[in-house]
Amino acid sequence: MSEDLEGKKILVIQTHGVDTPTRTYSPIYYAVAAAAMEMDVMLWFTMNGTNQLKKGEAEKVSLVPESGVTLKSMLQMALDNDVKLRVCQQSLTLWDMQPEDLIDGVEILGATSIISLALESDHVMYF
Amino acid sequence: MAYEKINECFLVTDLYYSVEDNTWVRVNDDGTVTVGMTDVAQSLAGPILHARSKKPGTARKKGRPIGTVESGKWVGPVKSPVSGEIIEVNEELESDAQMLNRSPYYKGWIVKMKPDNLEADLADLVTGEAAVEAYRAKIDKEGITCTHIEGTETPEA
Repeated sequence: MSEDLEGKKILVIQTHGVDTPTRTYSPIYYAVAAAAMEMDVMLWFTMNGTNQLKKGEAEKVSLVPESGVTLKSMLQMALDNDVKLRVCQQSLTLWDMQPEDLIDGVEILGATSIISLALESDHVMYF
Repeated sequence: MAYEKINECFLVTDLYYSVEDNTWVRVNDDGTVTVGMTDVAQSLAGPILHARSKKPGTARKKGRPIGTVESGKWVGPVKSPVSGEIIEVNEELESDAQMLNRSPYYKGWIVKMKPDNLEADLADLVTGEAAVEAYRAKIDKEGITCTHIEGTETPEA
């Protein structure tokens, strides 16, 4: 593993949510993999991606059959590996969500923030 | 090699363990150490698809990754239980990552290291009966029962 990967900034943008479970797993997995490689990783949720951050929703989405892995456990794995979870403020209104509806560990940022973060990142992955 | 079995999880009693990070250290006669992941770790991860290690020559502080491991349901770092320099990596894991599942304490070792301050680092790890008790507590608390893939080697008593 190349050492110069350490500290690189990766921004992963997730626009898919609980309505399309098969599109939720890989972005989180990649984010955690990058964090395990000691990169500085942010997962940004917008559009439909926002709805998985509503309390009680991600638990309902089973991802790997017979393994007990749910969307909630994937999000927790991301948090446990210091992946920063951020949600687009404007997208909360799409889902009639209030800040208190969010699971713990998620920070709300506005549209100008995502533009700055994209420019500051070494790489952006969008899903 | 003496071992214990707790809820189907093997624990080789002469190794030093970081119970939190699920890693082990074997102290070699030449002053180097061999590092790997535990049977509990391989069981939680499930069949491992890829393992990547840092290169020889890499200096690691205790707690920083010596490599990454990924399965179908889990990906994460293997955190170094000691500070030191990686001097050798188990290249067989590149072509056969499931060696980590089948032989976590022997053929599935991950790296060898030249430790900076072994005595101090070992003092933060547990071995022997203390390791058994610590793992028993963890396994009970987290409700772990280890599973093994075909071809798993039982540590010799």
